[in-house]
Formats: sequence, structure tokens, C-alpha cells
Amino acid sequence: MQITCFHCGLDAPNDHEFVVRVFDEPRVMCCPGCQAVAQSIVDNQLTDYYQFRTEKAIQAPSAEEQAALLAKLSIYDAPELQTDFVLDMGELKEVQLTIEGITCAACGWLIERHLVKQDGIVQNAVNVSAARASIKWDPKKISLSAILSGLSTLGYEVQPFSPEQHELTYQKEHKRFIKQLGLAGIMTMQVMMLSMGFYFDWLGNIDAVMREYFQWISLVLTTPVVFYSGSTFYLGAFKAISQRRLNMDVPVTIAILGTYFAGIKATTLHTGEVFFESICMFIFFLLTSRFLEHRARYKATEIASNTMKYVPVSASVLHPDTAEVSIVTAKSLQPGQIVLVKPGEIIPIDGIIRHGCTHIDESMLTGEFAPVTKSTGQPVYGGTLNQHQSIEVTVTSELKYALVNQILRLQTNAMAQKPAIALMADRLSQYFVSAVLVIATATYITWDTLGNPDAFWITVSILIATCPCALGLATPSALTSAMARLQQSGILLKQANVLEALTDINHVVFDKTGTLTQGKFSIKHTTSISNMTESELLTLVSSLEQYSEHPIARAFSEYDVYPVIDPKQHLNLGVEGCINSQTYRCGQAKFMRHQNQISEHPQIHDATIYVEDDTSLLGAIWLDDALKADTLDTIEQLRFLKQSILSGDSQANVEAVSNMLNIPSGFAQCSPEDKLDAVRSYQAQGDRILMLGDGINDSPVLAQANVSVSVGNASDLAKNASDILFLQPSIASLPLLLALAQRCKIVIKQNFMWALGYNLLILPFGIAGFLTPWMAALGMSLSSIIVVYNSSRLLKFESTRPLS
Amino acid sequence: MNVIYVLIPIAIIIVALAIVIFFWAVKANQFEDLERQGSSILFDDDITPSKNPPSSDKDA
Repeated sequence: MQITCFHCGLDAPNDHEFVVRVFDEPRVMCCPGCQAVAQSIVDNQLTDYYQFRTEKAIQAPSAEEQAALLAKLSIYDAPELQTDFVLDMGELKEVQLTIEGITCAACGWLIERHLVKQDGIVQNAVNVSAARASIKWDPKKISLSAILSGLSTLGYEVQPFSPEQHELTYQKEHKRFIKQLGLAGIMTMQVMMLSMGFYFDWLGNIDAVMREYFQWISLVLTTPVVFYSGSTFYLGAFKAISQRRLNMDVPVTIAILGTYFAGIKATTLHTGEVFFESICMFIFFLLTSRFLEHRARYKATEIASNTMKYVPVSASVLHPDTAEVSIVTAKSLQPGQIVLVKPGEIIPIDGIIRHGCTHIDESMLTGEFAPVTKSTGQPVYGGTLNQHQSIEVTVTSELKYALVNQILRLQTNAMAQKPAIALMADRLSQYFVSAVLVIATATYITWDTLGNPDAFWITVSILIATCPCALGLATPSALTSAMARLQQSGILLKQANVLEALTDINHVVFDKTGTLTQGKFSIKHTTSISNMTESELLTLVSSLEQYSEHPIARAFSEYDVYPVIDPKQHLNLGVEGCINSQTYRCGQAKFMRHQNQISEHPQIHDATIYVEDDTSLLGAIWLDDALKADTLDTIEQLRFLKQSILSGDSQANVEAVSNMLNIPSGFAQCSPEDKLDAVRSYQAQGDRILMLGDGINDSPVLAQANVSVSVGNASDLAKNASDILFLQPSIASLPLLLALAQRCKIVIKQNFMWALGYNLLILPFGIAGFLTPWMAALGMSLSSIIVVYNSSRLLKFESTRPLS
Repeated sequence: MNVIYVLIPIAIIIVALAIVIFFWAVKANQFEDLERQGSSILFDDDITPSKNPPSSDKDA
């Protein structure tokens, strides 16, 4: 049976190589990364985490990713950069962090415990649902980069950020809503208690004085609810009327204020009835629906702005005369300046290589992970990674004109063209409200002319009974439940309304590298043409490749090695070295001394790496970018949709993948613009596109697609452009997402039918005068509860068989 | 029954107090993350680690 990793739950290798003792038992891990994280959790006595967590952690970064991360962190200590995201409070400093990798509440506990133990951290608070933390620390005792690197040893990727202005507004509103709702809830209970006694005669015979006393108490308790909790509706109504429009708030305001002032009149003049408890209940339920709607939006903004991380990029400027190097921010660079970029550093800006020759990882721009070799005179782009040797770059343009920022602008434009879908619902509610107001007025006039003393209460009953409370809850409650359910499966929605758009998708477009495939080389197979066995050949190549810095070499890192004497690396060609006093060379075909022998063995003519010794060719190895484990299965489940691949990779690689997955249409060698054009032309044919991608080059097309998804390993820019984020680096959640969207639509329809049906059914009774306000309020509440219950079924949704 | 004239105002005062406390809690960010706070009671530091017993001055 396949054993899964104790830490992250992925499949672990069968040889049980990575083991950590947790709870006095050896536990198997899948990779050195998870092993290191688990070990550091055990060492810090934080094993409670494993006991109480409800979700598995995400896979920890590998050692080299970890090292690259730590190297970057020291940037955050520079005081001139800190001014942008750190709040200086005299002695102390405060920072807001986004945390990637939080899966459940136990993660929050783990992080808080860890931080408490650090000397110099004064205060910390982790918000699990927003995946954020705020930390106050003493800069004399601990540096920011030390805090960040401590968290990354626990397997969380942490980055400072500053929240956007509109999110702060949302947060304020959110707090106001909770206060209004809490007040209304507490008061409703009190007033209800008093009035229930009257309705059902629980208090026995009550004299008129006691009755009046109770009315006064109810009035006192109701007043804050009407003026504080209800203020949202009056403001909404006022805004609508001043723009000469009608909205749901208008009849609500009339009903609340009418009932309230009539109640005051009745209480002071000792005549007539009061319905204070109905007002309270009415306001409470209406606020609940508004609150749910607001919370869904607030949550979505939080997730959206988590992807807008603040990453300061610094640059080492070289002064040509003095040869001095000074550190500045990338923003301040001017064309003509010379920047020194060391190996492992990110190139801060667009420019031309002035001196040096290196491998550059441009995957964040092109999505392709194979590095590009560049030398003097060739252009390099900001944001790409220098992998091999120091280079000097002459700056050609300011940061705002850099290629990355141009792609960002392309994406912003595509986003702005998205159609607004909310317009229809808005117009519908206008008609509904006008109809309710007309009917209510007509009823009042009719009953008044007929001389019925209760004409006013009948009218108020109609306004309350037809109140669109259940209608208002229908969509937000379903969306909130669906979002919560998706979050359990590691799917984050940045906008709640994309679920609606998901239901009429008919065409899925995939990026290849990093989305369908793993985005890194792995060994496909090995062929020996000498008397050496294939595993010997593999060991031989692994021994040599450990001295290479080419990304291909990483594919060999998990194999055994022989000791190598005098290894030599030939840039972009291959490696040679001496093993057992025999010289071996491995690398590209043109690096081989015996390349004429390749044609003698037709079975190896298309291999990636060849191996030779001094006398002859020994064998060959094929490398490729393997599909992610669950890609094929997922694609099979989605056969009912049109599928295509858009990739920046070569024609041959794209064809290989599309044949393997049996996806008929694929475009290779696409630039970001090509991808955008391809999706636009699909859309022009009437297709509704769901796009999945991961690279920066995908971000414009993600913004253009009707709905877009970025997978777990995606670049920040891609996450920023997409509507939906998968936390796991696989597309396996896609069928669940589509099935749940479909289910959510059905639930919303059911909710609408019930809410509308109830309103239409109750209307004749209201007009006929059978309803009193308390009945209307009770009926409305029951109808709301049914709607909320129906929506909450989405929380337990399990995708048994995806839609057909 | 006359005692109700005293009891209800007392109840109102208690309710008002509850509301003041509730508003303070909202202001102090206690309602920001319901997921986390809901389970924080489970993570008790003094149950598991048998190696380092709870500090004695607290118990005293």
C-alpha cells in the first residue's frame, strides 16, 4: 500500500528514506523539505499541531527553494525599504504579513506559539481565515528577516504587505455590521420575551398599568435597534430616492419607521396596538442577510489583496569610475546606470548585458523553465533570475516601463472589459419594489375608505410579509456556503459571483508547463549501448551532473553518485570528470567527441543527454517534463467540455502532451499576446472560457477568460489576475469546483422559488387583512430560516459523480 | 407581581452592560477570525509536554 507523508499527505517514496519521530513513533515523510519542517516542529515542542490539525499541511519547499528564499529575506531589513510596509511605533515596529500555507486553525496556533517563543516579539496575532498575521517586535532584539526565516522553517511562506485602501473600508463596515447585528439580536430576545407573554397569556391576568409598563420597556429596548441597527436601510433608501431610483430599502424603511412611530403613538396615547417585537425581529433578519452578503465580499477582497504582495526589489548599482557598489531600490534606477547582478539574484530591471555571460531563468515571464543563455549585448528582463555568473547590466528603461509592468497593464485592460452581470437582478428588484408599494398603497386606500380601523396595520403587514428578506438571503447564503465548502478543499474564490459564471463554461483552456506538467525536468528513460547496465549509466551521469548548475542537473539529484576527480563544467554543453581513473563526459550531442557514433544507433538519435568515455559512446538519457500525477484523471472527468492547450513551449513538446492527454487542439510558442488573441477568438465564436494557468505570461489571458484559475505553484502576478486560486499545485480540484458551481446554481434557484412563492402566497392574505404585523414578521423569519438551511446543505456537498 | 417593576430595570441594566462588553470585543478585533478563536481552547499548552512541567509559581 502506498504510504502518505505524515506532514503533507502526499505519496511518500516506498524506501521510507525521510523519517521523523513524532509522538514517539517514526513517521514517514515524502521529501527532505517536509522532514525538516516536521523536525523543527518536534524540536520546538509544538507537536500539538499534529494532534489538533484538521487538514494536512502543504508540501514544504525543498532545501534549494528554502535557501533561495532566505537569501531574498535579508532585503527586508534595509531601513529605506521598510518605510513602505512597516509601521514605526518608536521603540517597536509593526508589520502585516500574508502567510502562504495555512490550512487549518492548528496552523494559526503553530505560528503563534512559535512567535511567542522568539525573544523580541512583543505581540502577534494570526488570522487564519484571512491567512495573515500582524507582528509587533523590538528591532533591537530581533530583525525582521530573522522572524520571516523562522516562519519559513515551519513550512510557511511569509511576506510583508500593506492592505489596500478599499479593504480597510470593508473592514470598518464589517465591524459596524457585527455591532448592529449583535445589538439587534440581543434586543430582539428581550422584547420578544416581554411580548410573547402577552400573546399567549403566560402572565395570567394583566392589568392595564402592567401592560402599559411593558409597552414602555419594549419601546426603550427597541429604540436603539431602530436608530442604530436599522440605519443601514434608511441610508440605502435615502441614497436610492435622491438618485430617483427605488430599491429594496424603500419599503423596508416605510415599514420599520411606520410601525415604530405608530407604536410610540399607541404607547403615549394608551390606544391601539404595538408591534415592537416585530420591528426588532424584522431588522435582525434583514441585517443577517446583508451581513452574509457583505462577509462574502469582504472575504473575497481579503483573498484578492493577499495576492498583491509587496516585494521590494533592490539593485546593486556599479559606479563605473570608482567601481563602488551601492544598494538602491529598483524604482529609483535610471536608464544608463550600470547594475551588478550576482548569481542567484533577481535581475531588477530591463537592460542590456554590458559584461558577462550567464544562464537566465525567464520562467516567470515565459512560463518555460528551461534557462536561456545570454551574453554581452543581449537584453535581459526585470524579474528574471540570474542563475550562473555575475553580469553587469546597463539599464535601458525605468521600472514602470519594464516588460513585467507592461504585461501587468495588458492584464488590467483585459480585466476592465469583463461584463457586469449584476445589472439584471438590479432592474428586477426595482419592478418588484414598485409593485409592492403600489399594492400596499391601494390596500390602504381601499380599507380606509371601507372604514376599517386596522387599515394601517394591514398595510404594514403587507410591507413586512413581502419583504425581500428571504429573497435577499437566497444568493448570499448559498454563495457563502459554497465558498466555505470550496475552501475546505483548498479552493479560494476571489469573487463570489464567479460561481455563477462557472456554470455556463463550455471550453477549458490549459497552460501546459507548470499547470498540466510539473514544470521541472525528470528522467524519462535511459538506454545503454555499451556493456554497462542502465542503472550504472545513471549513477555515472548523476555523479557528473552534481557539478553542473544547469537545471537539467536537478533531475539527477536523487540518485547515488561515485566520487569524481577533477570535474569540469562546460557552459551550456555538458560536464566532464574522472571516475575510477577513467574520464567520462556527458551533455549535448555536439559536446560528444564521438558524435558520429550517434547515427549508428538510430534508437538514441533524439535523446536529451549523451554519455561517452575516451573510446566510445556509452548511452543516452531522455528527460522530459512529466505530467502531474492527477492530470490525466482530471482531464478524463472533464471530457464533456471542449479542451485546448495554449503554451509558450515548442511545438514538439506541446504535441507530446496533447497526444498523451488526447486533447485535440493545442497552440505552441505563444507569447502572452498570442494567448490573449487565441482566447478572444474562441470567445468571438461564442465559447465561454475557463482558463487555467500559472506563469506571469498567463496573467493577461487569465484576466480575459470568462473564469480563470491559477494553480498552487503559480506566480504572484497570475494569482492576482485569476478569479479562483487552487492552493494545491494540481488541477484535481477542478471537477469538484465545476460540480459545486452547478449545485450552487440549483440551490439559488430553489431559494428564489421558495422565497418568491412564499411572498406571492402571503400577499392575498395580507391584502384581505388576515395578517397582523407579528404574523407577517414570524412568517418572514421562518421563510428566511428555510432558505438559510437549504443553502447550508452546500457545506456538506460531496462530488460523487461530476456533472455530465 | 410588583417585584417585576424592579427586576425588569435590573435586567435592562445587565443587557446594556452585555452590549457594552460586546461592542468592546468587536472593537478589540475579537470577531475578526472566528475560525481560529473557536478552536483555540483545544490548544492547551500545559497538557502535553511532560518534559517541562507547568511553572510552579503559577500553580502556587
